[in-house]
Amino acid sequence: MRAPLMMMLGLGPAVARLKLRRCGSVGATPTVWGRVWIHGEGEIVIGDRVVFDARMAPIELHAQQGGRIVIQDDVTIEGGSSIEAQSCVTLGARSHLGMWCKLMDNMYHPVRGNRHERPRSVPLMVEEGVTVGSRSILLPGAHLQKGASVASGTVISRRIPPGVTVGGSPARVLRREVAR
Amino acid sequence: MKPAIPSREEALQLARASLQMVRTEVFPRAERMVAVARARWMFRAFRMGRDVAAYGPVSARNDGHAELGDKLTFLGGMLPTSVVCYEHARLLVGNETQFNYGASVEAWESVQIGARCMFASFVRVSDRDGQRIAPIIIEDDVWVAHGAILLPGVRIGARSVVSAGSIVSQDVPPDSLAMGNPARSMSLDLVARDATGT
Repeated sequence: MRAPLMMMLGLGPAVARLKLRRCGSVGATPTVWGRVWIHGEGEIVIGDRVVFDARMAPIELHAQQGGRIVIQDDVTIEGGSSIEAQSCVTLGARSHLGMWCKLMDNMYHPVRGNRHERPRSVPLMVEEGVTVGSRSILLPGAHLQKGASVASGTVISRRIPPGVTVGGSPARVLRREVAR
Repeated sequence: MKPAIPSREEALQLARASLQMVRTEVFPRAERMVAVARARWMFRAFRMGRDVAAYGPVSARNDGHAELGDKLTFLGGMLPTSVVCYEHARLLVGNETQFNYGASVEAWESVQIGARCMFASFVRVSDRDGQRIAPIIIEDDVWVAHGAILLPGVRIGARSVVSAGSIVSQDVPPDSLAMGNPARSMSLDLVARDATGT
């Protein structure tokens, strides 16, 4: 695999900072490949050594008015994933988001009643060491606890206990961590 | 009588207010006009109603018989929306239907979409899956959430909701919520009124 030109020139972090200029704060040595689309008036906080690998498809970070996206240290986000925050979305340290993931803390339209009003938003929390597979969708109220992992294509809207692997649609527990 | 010269603060306030007005009043209208013009151009091969707006890139192709209704909205985003109607196929889209970015509608034989539907991002609607071709009918007021896939031969009843990431392989009755893979339907009356997804 060919390294991007800017990385060969040693300008990787500088270019990454330029691409992440809309974020409130960016930690040490970010890596951005490809395009990151950051919009909205909310606040985005990015930790150290975060990797955005958007070579295949752009990544969307959308923090709306009053929303807050916190991406902690050593997080990897792959292309095509999109994070939308109305209140708060937190990605813990060393977690990994696969391709085409969708994290949203608001459903935007109520399931029942008037579709044009916006429902309450529930903060979304991904704790440290979590792996989220590609094409999975985290709905409002999803809370992945430490070391949980999500198989690809799973839809989650609840708390997932630590060290548990979930998968399938509707989601089931595939594996529990035996040794603690 | 002397014209009052505005003080520095007053002038600043005025400038700020006018900037705010431009931002809230002028920009959305200009954006809307650009979107309508863009839709006119992109859907030039389609039979189209009034006020169709495309806020982002749309890859549209019509070799068959495609009709779009009034006041459609195609939002822009990471990926282009694609609307494709192949030869001898029929694609009907009702009034005031909205498409988010990345949605793809493909008609090989017949796809009908009702009025006031909502299609979230990355929704795929195709009436051919490689093995068979069967018409898809989506009635009025249907909400198809992020990443759902509608397989050929499916009929989705009015006011139904297809939840995120589900794969619909069977008919969905009216006023119901379909979720999972393959999608199971349940009545919307069983859903809590203030459901937020938890």
